[in-house]
Amino acid sequence: MNDLLRLWKLFRPYRGWMLAGFAISLATLIANVALMAVSGWFITAMAMAGAAGVAMNYFTPAAMIRGSAIARTAGRYFERLITHEATLRQLAGLRVWFYRKLEPLAPARLQQYHSADLLSRIRADVDALDNLYVRVLVPSLVAIVAGVGFFLFTALFDLRLALVLLAMLLVAGLLLPWLSRWLGAAPGRRLVEAEAQLRQVAIDGTQGLSELLVYGAAEAQAERIDALSRDLIREQDRMSRIAGFAQGAVGLCANLTLWAFLWIGIPLVESGVLPPPQLAMLALFALAAFESVAPLPLAFQQLEATLTAARRLFAIVDTEPAVAEPTGPAPQPQDNGIAIRGLRFGYPGADRPALDGLDLDLPEGRRVAIVGATGSGKSTLLNLLLRFWAPDAGEMRLGGEPLEAFPGEQLRDRIALVSQHPHLFDASIRENLLIAAPDASVGLIEQACATAQIDRFIADLPEGYDTWVGETGVRVSGGQARRIAIARALLKDAPILLLDEPTEGLDAPTERALMDAIRRLMQGRTVLLITHRPVALAEMDEILVLDQGRVIERGSHEELLRAQHYPRLLGLDNAL
Amino acid sequence: MSARSLLNDQKAVGARWLKLSVVLGLLNGLLLIAQAWLLARIIDAVVFKDAGLADVAVWLWLLLPLFLVRAGLARGSEQTAFRAAAEIKRQLRGRVYRHIQKAGPGWMSGQRSGALSEDLTKGVEGIEAYYARFLPAMTLTALIPLAILLVVLPIDWLSGLVMLVTAPLIPLFMILIGTGVERLNQQQWKTLARMGAHFLDVIQGLTTLKLFNASRREAEVIARISDDYRRSTMEVLRVAFLSSAVLEFFATIGIAIIAVFIGFRLYDVGLPIPDFMAPPEISFFTGFFVLLLAPEFYLPLRSLGTHYHGRMEAVAAAERLVAVLDAPVAPSPDEPVVLKPEGPIGVRFDDVRFSYEAGRSALAGASFDIAPGERVALVGPSGAGKTTVASLLLGFLRPDGGSILVDGADLARLDIDAWRRNLAWLPQSPRLFQGTLGDNIRLGAPNAPLDAVRRAAEQAHAAEFIDRLPLGYDTPVGERGVGLSGGQIQRIALARAFLRDARLVLLDEATANLDPASEALVQQALDRLADGRTMLVIAHRLATVRSADRILVLDGGHIVEQGDHATLMQQDGPYRRMARLLEVSAP
Repeated sequence: MNDLLRLWKLFRPYRGWMLAGFAISLATLIANVALMAVSGWFITAMAMAGAAGVAMNYFTPAAMIRGSAIARTAGRYFERLITHEATLRQLAGLRVWFYRKLEPLAPARLQQYHSADLLSRIRADVDALDNLYVRVLVPSLVAIVAGVGFFLFTALFDLRLALVLLAMLLVAGLLLPWLSRWLGAAPGRRLVEAEAQLRQVAIDGTQGLSELLVYGAAEAQAERIDALSRDLIREQDRMSRIAGFAQGAVGLCANLTLWAFLWIGIPLVESGVLPPPQLAMLALFALAAFESVAPLPLAFQQLEATLTAARRLFAIVDTEPAVAEPTGPAPQPQDNGIAIRGLRFGYPGADRPALDGLDLDLPEGRRVAIVGATGSGKSTLLNLLLRFWAPDAGEMRLGGEPLEAFPGEQLRDRIALVSQHPHLFDASIRENLLIAAPDASVGLIEQACATAQIDRFIADLPEGYDTWVGETGVRVSGGQARRIAIARALLKDAPILLLDEPTEGLDAPTERALMDAIRRLMQGRTVLLITHRPVALAEMDEILVLDQGRVIERGSHEELLRAQHYPRLLGLDNAL
Repeated sequence: MSARSLLNDQKAVGARWLKLSVVLGLLNGLLLIAQAWLLARIIDAVVFKDAGLADVAVWLWLLLPLFLVRAGLARGSEQTAFRAAAEIKRQLRGRVYRHIQKAGPGWMSGQRSGALSEDLTKGVEGIEAYYARFLPAMTLTALIPLAILLVVLPIDWLSGLVMLVTAPLIPLFMILIGTGVERLNQQQWKTLARMGAHFLDVIQGLTTLKLFNASRREAEVIARISDDYRRSTMEVLRVAFLSSAVLEFFATIGIAIIAVFIGFRLYDVGLPIPDFMAPPEISFFTGFFVLLLAPEFYLPLRSLGTHYHGRMEAVAAAERLVAVLDAPVAPSPDEPVVLKPEGPIGVRFDDVRFSYEAGRSALAGASFDIAPGERVALVGPSGAGKTTVASLLLGFLRPDGGSILVDGADLARLDIDAWRRNLAWLPQSPRLFQGTLGDNIRLGAPNAPLDAVRRAAEQAHAAEFIDRLPLGYDTPVGERGVGLSGGQIQRIALARAFLRDARLVLLDEATANLDPASEALVQQALDRLADGRTMLVIAHRLATVRSADRILVLDGGHIVEQGDHATLMQQDGPYRRMARLLEVSAP
């Protein structure tokens, strides 16, 4: 119920649309019922008048029949148009709403989610919410108002008829939807899960195709897809059974009402209380009235799926960001120097801290490198500096001001990061560069690419800067991707530069050339570099050797070559 | 293959259920005529024959079982239609995914996996409406109105005529408007797929967006894309709804005309029709019976209009699936050559040429030999074609010219799955799949016992960190190996390679993610792995290269130099220049 209330709140800005949808749906329904009821009355009355040879005004009912026919047609058209327009507007709004909630959670809180799972949420789960509006809210409202109206109308003729109608409408419009919802809850939930799982396996099975093929696991993956497909269909089958049952039951309710009307109505005609044309009218009216409740069982059967989708969205939305944004005014740092004292941090669930009392001084304009084995805490330090995570203890200052006083955006404005696996977006090279500076001129972009030494490569491409780099940059090599990332960092032009193993995994000439580019990028910036490459380390002002979250050695490259751990970490102890 | 022929081909799969569904639906329609007849009888008796409840009680009781049977039939026809579609969906999904596999990574690199996964999920679901709704409705539309017409024409040909005249207009208009919608709908599906792909890209790059403070701009992009989607959807819907409205209009007007004509005749008012068409005299019973049947006559036509929209969606979805199914698949040889079952494999590239797109050749006549059991390092600047060599050997790509011989047999004449069973491969950035760490190591040997998995992990130096995890080998992992470092993922992938008893091992910059200390350990592991196997290493570190038996230097798509480290160092070639750079960097 709580989830329903929350959803309702999300839909509130669209109340006007909903009201319009409701009004026009109601009008259409009434036109339809009127068409059938008046037709029944009309031909019976005409036949009786004809047989008895009495005069009657047939113009009004004939006009009513034509009028309601046209009203029904037009009404149906606008009803559909309005409800769909409203739904799509809501969904567009909800997607942005969800994205805005998702964004602060990256990357710390989203680690546990498969990206396909998140994709399912922003696509399918948001889409599933339309069921609530188009199929549940508006039709329920229409059914309630119409049901009361139908009851009152019938009561004009006979209270017993009205009560029968009301009872059957309640069965079809309340009991059956409730039953459908109850029966459909479990399969509905499983349906959403199965669909999300299928999407995950499909993404695994396409993005990871190469490895699956080489390791002969492709058929196993295909069978996994088959199995999930079967699971999905099994749940759909359950849902279809329930839907078929409810559909049959609503029809039965309508027919039974007609039946009861005849049992009650025929004696009334016999005794002269009810004029015969009205019996014909009421009979057809009874049948048509059930159109008001017919869509409800199916809608409520799918309600659980809708709510599951909503809950999956809420689960993300309710996650606290790993780092709280400061509320006070943004600080004015004196410079871009960084000072860290006693920094401690452990990932949730880890058995030992990733950083265990780290001290670091990085005055403005200096270059400090960090060296350490896998798991020594190097990347964690960068995550803390970028405020993707908040430290457990200790102090980090930027220009004398505590880091946690900076709003995330303002902090990241000052920092550029070049990492080993830069993410290139599925867009052109130009668009990938413009992410760093949306207003950069062509000249500026070309200059950055020249500095990053990627300009020649781009110029040789038939489409130049408009070349599509493909999903996660699959169409450019690792070295080229990193150069694009360097050009991106140049365009960003931030005073502090974080380099996370920028040349690791490249061949020697590429590394050499890339190092030239990086050297130019470092020019005039405060630099923190993580690497094991001696080429780069020799140029650093200071090097810290990290082990299990602590600094165990520090000094210049020359000094550290005589130290205990440093040469081994660089692979220099068994020198070539 | 066209979308339509795909949809038609699949019909056979669900034919049995489809037929049953139509039979049940038709039965329901016939019982409906009986029901209307009974109802008209009762009203007629009460209104004109002064019959009391007792006189019509038999008729009333007869109605009851009719109602029940009809409810059952409605349910049954819904179920059978679902069954038909379910079977087709299941088969089609498996077929499309298997085709993606056959088309392989070479084709995949030009695709967006977000869009493909959309095709596999929503795309396949999208065809359901065609089989579960449109096809049964289509057949019933032909049958039920015909049955009603057969009943109505003999008793009141004027009403029958109204039906006959209005009914064909409905499908006519539907098709007229429908063709326009169809085109729109296909665009719509593309928009949808694009939206899916874009969202996946955004989600995977969220951290990067954040780093550049671009995530707020991205919110605007998402708003814009969603809004574009709304606009284009509404464009389709406006036309689709208009077609339903036209349909609805004819149906409703048809009912109204029939009702008014019956009423006028019963009252003996002149009808607005030519004199030569003397309208038939009718009784109240006939009139009421026909009036009850009139809405039912139009109902299948109306619902066909609704389902026609479903058909168009299905065609658009099928269009995407056909695009996947049309992806070229390298032909498998009719009589595949069988390699000798064991021992290391020899490889020979003979003037191999390959280009990803015209004018940009990646390999321009590369020739080299790798002897069985040899350990060869492939070096060269980035973009020299190293990865292409690996992709060709793995069978992801086929050479444009020249030939690749393995153990003397042309690779193209081997059964590709059988060939891959001989391989282990460690890509640049290995992927972990949904499942546990143990499952991931078992990728190439799903039935390997835990002992073997452990041994492989130990050899790859992965056991040390896996054992530290609370769940050990049962630790669940996601796509990027969430919570694992690059080096750890690399070592799990290495364990994969160890567990697979391969005869040819391909390593692509295998130690790229490791710090030198771990690298030394992994290097030892690789030495062990190389034992008794042929190994081709795409290398860039002097340490890796030095331990190779032979070094191939690739540049501009050719082999420019080859030999062992010592020999190559004596020549004043590209290799020495590369090695110099490395040595300068390592004082």
